[in-house]
Amino acid sequence: MANIHPTAIISSKAKLGENVSVGAFSIIHDDVEIGDNTSIATHCVIYSGARIGSNCKIYQGVSIAHVPQISKLQDVNSFATVGDGTTIHEFVTIHKASKDGNYTSIGKNVLLMAYAHIAHDVFIGDNCIIVNAVQIGGHVLIDDWAIIGGSTPIHQFCKVGKHAMVGAGFKVVKDVPPFVLAGEDPMKFVGLNSVGLRRRGFTSDQLDTLKKVYKIIYDSGLNVSQAKAQIKNEFPSDLLVKEILDFIDNSKRGIIPG
Amino acid sequence: MTEIHPTALVSKKAKLGDNISVGAYSIINDDVEIGDYTSIGSNSVIYNGARIGRNVYILNSASIAHIPQDKKFHQEYSLLFIGDNSTIGDFTTLHRGTEATGKTIIGENVIISQYSHVAHDCLIANNVFIGSMVQIGGHVEIDEYSILEDFTSIHQFCKLGKYSLLQTPYKASMDVPPFICASGKPLKFSGLNTESFEKYKFDQKKIDTINQVYSLLYFSGLNFSQAKEKIKNSLPNDEVAFEVLDFLDKSSRGIVGK
Repeated sequence: MANIHPTAIISSKAKLGENVSVGAFSIIHDDVEIGDNTSIATHCVIYSGARIGSNCKIYQGVSIAHVPQISKLQDVNSFATVGDGTTIHEFVTIHKASKDGNYTSIGKNVLLMAYAHIAHDVFIGDNCIIVNAVQIGGHVLIDDWAIIGGSTPIHQFCKVGKHAMVGAGFKVVKDVPPFVLAGEDPMKFVGLNSVGLRRRGFTSDQLDTLKKVYKIIYDSGLNVSQAKAQIKNEFPSDLLVKEILDFIDNSKRGIIPG
Repeated sequence: MTEIHPTALVSKKAKLGDNISVGAYSIINDDVEIGDYTSIGSNSVIYNGARIGRNVYILNSASIAHIPQDKKFHQEYSLLFIGDNSTIGDFTTLHRGTEATGKTIIGENVIISQYSHVAHDCLIANNVFIGSMVQIGGHVEIDEYSILEDFTSIHQFCKLGKYSLLQTPYKASMDVPPFICASGKPLKFSGLNTESFEKYKFDQKKIDTINQVYSLLYFSGLNFSQAKEKIKNSLPNDEVAFEVLDFLDKSSRGIVGK
């Protein structure tokens, strides 16, 4: 049974699943879909274009699918999606995409901590952790299992690969490849995110392979395209290595230096 | 006289002192205690487990004693204390403890400015000043009269000593000993906090001793354990030396370098 506080204002056009709860003074606009068992706390505003999955927890003062912060932008008919099981803490702002029909997308089981900002057209994969006050610019891609440390701004159009971890308090202005730990100012490769990888069941052999690959990229004196060629020769069929090579191929802003 | 705005939702089970005021659309949950003369602005939410002292000013949209952003948290009972005469700014988020300590403590006469976050199990002593957008991780201990300038952040489990000052916009990921200023990336010793010495009227002898202790610690060419030994020998039974040595002994993350 839906548990809606009498002071909440919910559009009759909004589609709410089973057992959705909405706290006091929250507002849900017309074109909104919310999955089963999702709870929305007090003082939240869910704007038109929000597509929220099931079992999500959304806490106080969160703003979802608001209009992007782009100058001269008129209202667009775009969307912001939040995957199942995602937790969104206080005062997080998630903006919808900047073009009609496009999505800002947050994956499943993501943890967005207090004050995080997710701009228009951002894609966040599953199981990511975005720590307090992380400010993510437009069109950023953060792949599955990545962790972004607190107070870190991410420049628009940057990419962060799978299982990467970005240290707190730095600034991302180039792409962070998968499996690495990045930090320092300007941001550079610090090592493999070995603690995170072990927690997720990566074997020592896999870690060794990744270590060798990043040694070729960052520690062999080769430039990125030479390093790519050498990696392709040495590890022709490894899936994790393919992930890294694909990431480098798709990188438009260039990867962080070593 | 107690003034509660007609739109505010205040639980009948909450224990409220005399002469408190609660602004529009604010919410006070069941298991809450609020002391006399405390004022709460509009849109704020005081969650279960909050223990707020007397004459506290809580401004608009604050989130007090919300559940921690800790993946190990499993809805256990815990508390958040706010001491008398403290001020809590707009949009601040103060989280209650986890089973590790069971409580987050904010002392008396503390000022926490807008958008700042105090995580689970923190201990903030009396007379601390916290600027805006300061993000404090879990289990952090900040001792009396410390100052955290705007945009600073503190890694979990860090300690800040008495009368220390963390300069904007840097991040503490190691412990900051008492009486000093810290700045830079990575964070470094950047002099003594002389402004506070003047403000709190330290006598010249005490300032000279602080000078002597930190010259030994940072500028004598000795390593920390040798310097500790030398401070112990050259300043036996000295209050300042004891304070610094005690801090060094308790430091688990190591202190900032020079």
